[in-house]
Parts: sequence; structure tokens; C-alpha cells
Amino acid sequence: MSNGVLCFAHNNGKVNYLQQAEELAKRVKQHLNLPTTLVTSTSSELQNPTLFDKVIEIADNNENVKRYYNGTLSHQRLSFKNNDRVKSYELSPYDTTLVLDTDYIICNDVFNNAFNSVHDFQIYRDGVDLCNWRKYAEFEYINDTGIPFYWATCFCFKKTTETKIFFDLLQHLVKNWKHYEQVYNLGSRNFRNDHVFSIAIHMMNGFEDNDWAKILPGKMFYTLDRDIITKIKNNTLTFLLQKEKYNGEYVLASTKDINVHVMNKFSLGELINE
Amino acid sequence: MEEALGKALEFSNFTATLNAQKRILHEKYLGDLVIYSNSGKFTVSKELLNFCFMLTSTSINKTVLIDDNRTPIQIDDVKEFMLKATQHYTDATNKYLDEYKILSTKRSVEGLVDV
Repeated sequence: MSNGVLCFAHNNGKVNYLQQAEELAKRVKQHLNLPTTLVTSTSSELQNPTLFDKVIEIADNNENVKRYYNGTLSHQRLSFKNNDRVKSYELSPYDTTLVLDTDYIICNDVFNNAFNSVHDFQIYRDGVDLCNWRKYAEFEYINDTGIPFYWATCFCFKKTTETKIFFDLLQHLVKNWKHYEQVYNLGSRNFRNDHVFSIAIHMMNGFEDNDWAKILPGKMFYTLDRDIITKIKNNTLTFLLQKEKYNGEYVLASTKDINVHVMNKFSLGELINE
Repeated sequence: MEEALGKALEFSNFTATLNAQKRILHEKYLGDLVIYSNSGKFTVSKELLNFCFMLTSTSINKTVLIDDNRTPIQIDDVKEFMLKATQHYTDATNKYLDEYKILSTKRSVEGLVDV
């Protein structure tokens, strides 16, 4: 049985996702001792392809645009190439695969436990925002009257008949997204993998609040793009967290030996560049 | 700015960071309490430890425990599991205490985040 990590990275001219993927592959090797496969449409911009077990080139079929913040005072609209991870099943070369966002900073080995689990599909339903005052309902349910929210940031799956059904369903949802975003009352929100996965899990649950998808080991700590990561020193990360009611002011905080999903791509990119 | 107000604002920043660090530490501790055994996932609680202790005290060494994912997990050696869980609980809690103590000695924002 083969185990490995799969990540998706498409540079968009402003954010160097490939560089993030390289950093991720290094940390995956260091903490999990696992190979990483990269899926990309911009492989020519890779600095060090040897960090990856495999590099899979795919066509870029993304058209999404979203607002990228860099702290609370600055933002820009950029293309967001994010709708390929529904193809994880067919693209992954591994029997059991951990799919990770490239902006996930691995600082411990807790994900290794996912590979020993009896369950076919594991994902996070709850995250821990490092900023203690932010409580966003959209991260609990996909809308005010909707179904539970799951984070597609990281998930682990075995290749089984059941998970094949799940990934085929994901592709069906993406293909017919205009319909499903209406059915699930998502209005004009940006396309999010989190929503696609949440809807598919809801369907796999028999349209009930159930537990077809099991919970990944560890906790998913995250910071939003309104926060700034200021330092990465081995497994200690330092952040400036958005301050409540004071736009442009921050609270200093740090983590040690904790995996953190860092959504501010600009400050993360600057640190990786150093 | 008046000196008194300046000091109060400085203390306010210190408190904000202290609270953030305490919360992160506690969340980390809750994560550290989880053990992975027999392909199951168990948050080690006083209840779990007591239940295992009760089983071993009544010479029951084989049982089924329901894990965090609501999956029944066969435990063939309860005593071994209990010892492992107890050690895990002790390690995690001692680590939490040590890190909390270190935090309590810090008197500046920079000290709290160790920059």
C-alpha cells in the first residue's frame, strides 16, 4: 500500500503557489516522511522539481476570480485556480492520499495517524481561528439555513469504490455548479471547494447530518488573509492577527509545533523567499 | 499622549497577546490529548481513564470502546491501553503546565511570542 501527499498549484502571475508547494513538500518530507506529488499547469516555473515524487501537468481550466487580502488594509482581485482538486482520485498515484493546500504549514507529524485509520475518507469539519474574536457562521454552515461546512483545505482518502463515487459526485457538482449553487442557496458567493465538498458529503450522508466523512487527526488551526505571518523559524510561526474594531491594527501571536493554514499568500510568499 | 494612557494601552496590547497565547496553548493541549490506537482515535479524558481503570479493577481486560469518530474499536488489552492513555494524558498535561508557567513569567508582548 502506498501513501503520499497530493497538492495543486497554479501560479497566477501574482501569487507563487509553486514556491509554496516546494516549501510544503520539504516539510512533508521532514515531518511525515512521505512523498509529495504536485499537480500544476505551470510546471515551467518550478524552481526545484526534485522535491516532488511526481509532477503531473494538467490543462488550466479555471476561471474563478477572488479578492486576496494582505492584512486588513490592502487587497487585490486575482484569478483563483482552485477547481482541480475534485480530480484528486484519478490524479493521485497513491493508494492512500493526503491532499493539502500549498499554504498549509506542517509543523508536526499528526497527519501520519490518518494513514493508519480504518476510515476511507477523513476531513476537518471545524477549524480553530488563531484570532480569538472572529466567529464566522459561514465556517459552521454553508449558509444561514444550510448544511454543515467542511474544510476542503486538507483531506485524506483511500481509493475504494465508495470514495470513487464521492469524487465522481464532486466532478458532477462542479460541472453543474450553476444549478447546485442555486439549490444550496449560495447566491453570488465565490466558487469554493469547501462548498462543493460540503454538498457532496451531505449527499453521501443520505441528505442528513451524518458521519460518512470522518474527522482528520489533529486540529486545523488557521489564520485569514486579514492576518499577516511575520516569521517562520523551524516550527515556530509568528503572526499579526487582525484586531477587533481597529482596522489596520494587529495582535501579536505565535504558535509552536502546530500545523497552520495560512491564508495570507503575500506575507507567506515573502517569508518563503527570504 | 499622557503617560498613564500610554502605559494602559501598552498593557492592553500585552493582555491581548497573552489571551491569544493562552487560547492557542489550550487548543494545542486539547489536540495533544488525542491518542491513536488500534486504528481508532480517542480523546483521553478522565472519564475514559476511569472507565478503563474500572474494567481492569474488575479483571476485565478485553472490551470495545467507541472512539471520537463514533466507531467501535476492539481493545484486546485494556490494561496496556489504559497505561498508554494515562501516560499520554500525563505527558500532555505536564507539557501544558510547563508552557503555561513559561507564559506566566513573561512581562512583554515580545516575550510572550518569543521574538
